[in-house]
Amino acid sequence: MEKAYADVPAEEKTRLYREVVQDARFDTYLYGCYECGICVAACPSARFYDFSPRKIAQALAREDVDLVYEQMNDDVWNCSQCFSCLRCPRGNNPGGLITIMREVAVNNGLRTTKEALAGYTRIIYKIMTTGTQVSPDMLQEDAFPDWGPQVKDVADHLAVWRRALPPETMHTTALSWEVEERTMRELYAIWKWTGTLDMIAQLDEGLHDIMEEIMDDALEDSGIA
Amino acid sequence: MATTTTETDRTVPVRGTAVETTKTFRPDPGEAPEEDLREAVLQLEREGEWIVQRVPEPYYEAPTKYGRMKKIPYERTWHHKSCGQCGHIPGYSTSIFWLNRVLGYDYFDPRDQTSCTAWNYYASATSNQAAQAAVAMRNFAAAYETGYFPLIHCGTSFGHYKEVRHELVHDHALRRQVRGIIERLGRPFVMPEEIVHYSEWMYAVRDQLQERVVHDLGPIVSTVHPACHYYKLQSGDAIYDPEIYGGQRTAVVTGVVQALGAQVADYSTWYDCCGFGFRHILVQRDFTRSFATLRKIEVMKEEANPDVVLTHDTGCVTSLDKSQFAAQAHGRNVGVPVMSESQFAALAMGAHPFRVTQLHWHSTDYRPLLAKMGIDAEQAWAEFQEDVKKIEAGTMDYLTWESVL
Amino acid sequence: MATADRVLVVGGGPAGLEAARGIADLGTPVLLVEAKDALGGTPWESYATLTPHLAPTRELMAEVKGAVEGHPLIDVRTTTRVVASEGVAGNFQVTLEHDGTRVVEAAGAVVVATGFQHFDPGRETQMYGYYEYDDVITLVDAERMMQAGQFVRPSNGAPPRSVAFIQCVGSRDRRIGNQYCSKVCCGIASKQSIEVKHLVPDAKVFIFYIDMRMYGFWEDQLYWKAQEEHKVNYIRGIVTEVIKKGDQLLIKGEDTTMGRPVEVLMDLVVLSVGMEPSAGTLEMARIFQIPREPHGFLATVGEPLDTVSTPVPGVFVAGAAAGPKDLEDTVSMGGAAAMRAVSLLRRLVAQSA
Repeated sequence: MEKAYADVPAEEKTRLYREVVQDARFDTYLYGCYECGICVAACPSARFYDFSPRKIAQALAREDVDLVYEQMNDDVWNCSQCFSCLRCPRGNNPGGLITIMREVAVNNGLRTTKEALAGYTRIIYKIMTTGTQVSPDMLQEDAFPDWGPQVKDVADHLAVWRRALPPETMHTTALSWEVEERTMRELYAIWKWTGTLDMIAQLDEGLHDIMEEIMDDALEDSGIA
Repeated sequence: MATTTTETDRTVPVRGTAVETTKTFRPDPGEAPEEDLREAVLQLEREGEWIVQRVPEPYYEAPTKYGRMKKIPYERTWHHKSCGQCGHIPGYSTSIFWLNRVLGYDYFDPRDQTSCTAWNYYASATSNQAAQAAVAMRNFAAAYETGYFPLIHCGTSFGHYKEVRHELVHDHALRRQVRGIIERLGRPFVMPEEIVHYSEWMYAVRDQLQERVVHDLGPIVSTVHPACHYYKLQSGDAIYDPEIYGGQRTAVVTGVVQALGAQVADYSTWYDCCGFGFRHILVQRDFTRSFATLRKIEVMKEEANPDVVLTHDTGCVTSLDKSQFAAQAHGRNVGVPVMSESQFAALAMGAHPFRVTQLHWHSTDYRPLLAKMGIDAEQAWAEFQEDVKKIEAGTMDYLTWESVL
Repeated sequence: MATADRVLVVGGGPAGLEAARGIADLGTPVLLVEAKDALGGTPWESYATLTPHLAPTRELMAEVKGAVEGHPLIDVRTTTRVVASEGVAGNFQVTLEHDGTRVVEAAGAVVVATGFQHFDPGRETQMYGYYEYDDVITLVDAERMMQAGQFVRPSNGAPPRSVAFIQCVGSRDRRIGNQYCSKVCCGIASKQSIEVKHLVPDAKVFIFYIDMRMYGFWEDQLYWKAQEEHKVNYIRGIVTEVIKKGDQLLIKGEDTTMGRPVEVLMDLVVLSVGMEPSAGTLEMARIFQIPREPHGFLATVGEPLDTVSTPVPGVFVAGAAAGPKDLEDTVSMGGAAAMRAVSLLRRLVAQSA
């Protein structure tokens, strides 16, 4: 059987592998693995996908750059990030290793990453520009058809139902709660100063450009940047 | 609005939270396998690395996993809201505020607060360590400046902030970088003495809640889903009580629900996650639906047949509640209402099911539960519809606290 | 100051008994101090039979115990504790406490043989439910039942139809802080699995393991024997969770040879708890100022060729106080400690003469 991603040069796979192991968290996320299987037994994703946190740890420990590359493309997005695997008796953090692998995958704009996050850009936009991850107006029937008619009920009455909430901060529809402008600008500054906005450029250039414009405009006369 | 479930049948015996053995274990803090991070936090304050915001007095002291005590503030709390709760389950946050008001506690609901952004971090990895730590420390600074102490509504925010604390304590370079960012924003660099989840506050005030219960909860059987990010991330810092499962599982939610007078039933997949998956709930929902129903709700139905599923985190309520519609359409053994223990406590204490606990935002039919609690859902819904009409007609701007207390 | 021509042996388990007998047989008087009311230590108290031949503990240990109790040169003090010590090699002034009364005794050398204690499963980071369910027991609980000649489910007194042993409980675990193998649990679990099959022939027995560590002859004496003659099922993969389902225990793990999660119902679960330094060992470390090695046991110098000399001159260690040991090593260390203690004393006596 031909190896997956045989067309990708070995140097490229090695480069990405190195980016993973050079992350500051790596040394406390992977010590070694004696294959006890505790992480797999505790893993929700292992029950529904051909997915194994044990194999993630093993591949990294063995410096198997081919397999790590394959996992970075085909496996890491199946993880639920519930961190049930933190019970590893060796002190490994397989879920954390996946966090690092995902970050490397995003930073390098892997094709499979773009595919995995294709339906996700509106959420990235929401969180980065509003400071609240999901907003009431995202509850739309077409986005959640499997959640039943209740979603439509909420969407149909959204504005008035939000006003029928006693907490003064929660009368919003585009945000989960009212966020001050200064707070928002500070968040934009954080995204810019920590390179988070740059990460988006690898993933979706259009999204990056839109957000950069919003943030730059807001920061321009704020005195922060 | 939602489909109806059959009247709960109690042929399924309830296995409660009392242990089935006379063996007892008392944790010894001296045997704790992990450092006490709070000591390290205070040490860094002595070294001038940051300010430590103290838990306001008086506080409750709760035992944690290794027998160490944790300070839980009663009041002067700064409510770090949850994006998913406020956005999609607004009765969750409303109930937390309502309970504070009923108990007469001074609290602060800030606008100078962002989400922890960890949902996105875990879902898409389009963030990094420094950004996540800076977001956390910006919020902590905002709390400190008001003089109120952070009380974190979301389980993921709570777990993630504890991870951030761990990283900031141990990674000097990261600490320096984030301090630079916070100072550039003109904010103080502050770490709270304790990182406290609202469900720990619920646990701390459970006796006061119990005193105010107005409905007989004796017949109500609940199952509890403990949230992964509450007790699996930085696990030493979660509340464990020898009275609850012999101190072998976290006591939040369960301890509160029992104090309120309802039964908590055990089920064999209690440790499993809810299936939320962060990205899965949004873009890979087949997984979330399958896991939430096959591994959680159906097992609960089979083994405990609960009247309600109670939990203490945003994603868990959403996954466990919303996933049932499709499963029900396929004739699966589901159909149990899901809510936070804060909503359940509020209902038990006489809160309005729609004005306060806002159950119309939930999918799975909650009316049989309300009936069993002795709450007239129809009448309450009619009252709520009156509010809605007034708002639509412009005779009322908003529903106010005055009308629900 | 004159050399005290007597050796204090602290602890009357297999190591202490062998050390005391060896020292006395070489002609040097022994003061043997034991905190409990009987000699024999953990095996005598808690184990029905011993590895590798499944011989009854009390029959097997009767000889050495009798030899010590009847030896004219051994002064046995049970229900007695060492509470303080002053002085140096050749002349330790040791305070003993018995029934609230303290006496000071002189000894030229000391052998610490205070052993181990079993790991308490309440500190386990996996969810094994030892403190939730009666039908989750430890190896020690199983031995106690076997001492009474039975093997039943504590919840209802009925013989179990299925039994799962879970290995490495409290051992080889960075999260718990015990980064060592306890050496004997694989052998003891295999021994017990054979005994379970003797007592309950119809029971299905499973051993969930990470690595089966059956050194030397234990390979065919215990491992192969259990697997081939008694059809014990060895499954590579550790259980992470035990939970009651109906009236049975649902155990969850990964079968790592198959690469899939497994969930199986069992009647009884036995936790193969490892070794930790006993409270007495920690107390002796404090009193005699013996440094502890990185795993928390008493440190020795001169490894691997000297297994019994501690960094404190005149203080020797034998048995599991120095780290996880099987009985063979424990008894051998007792003999080695006896030899080193006596030879030191003879040197000191000769120098002072």
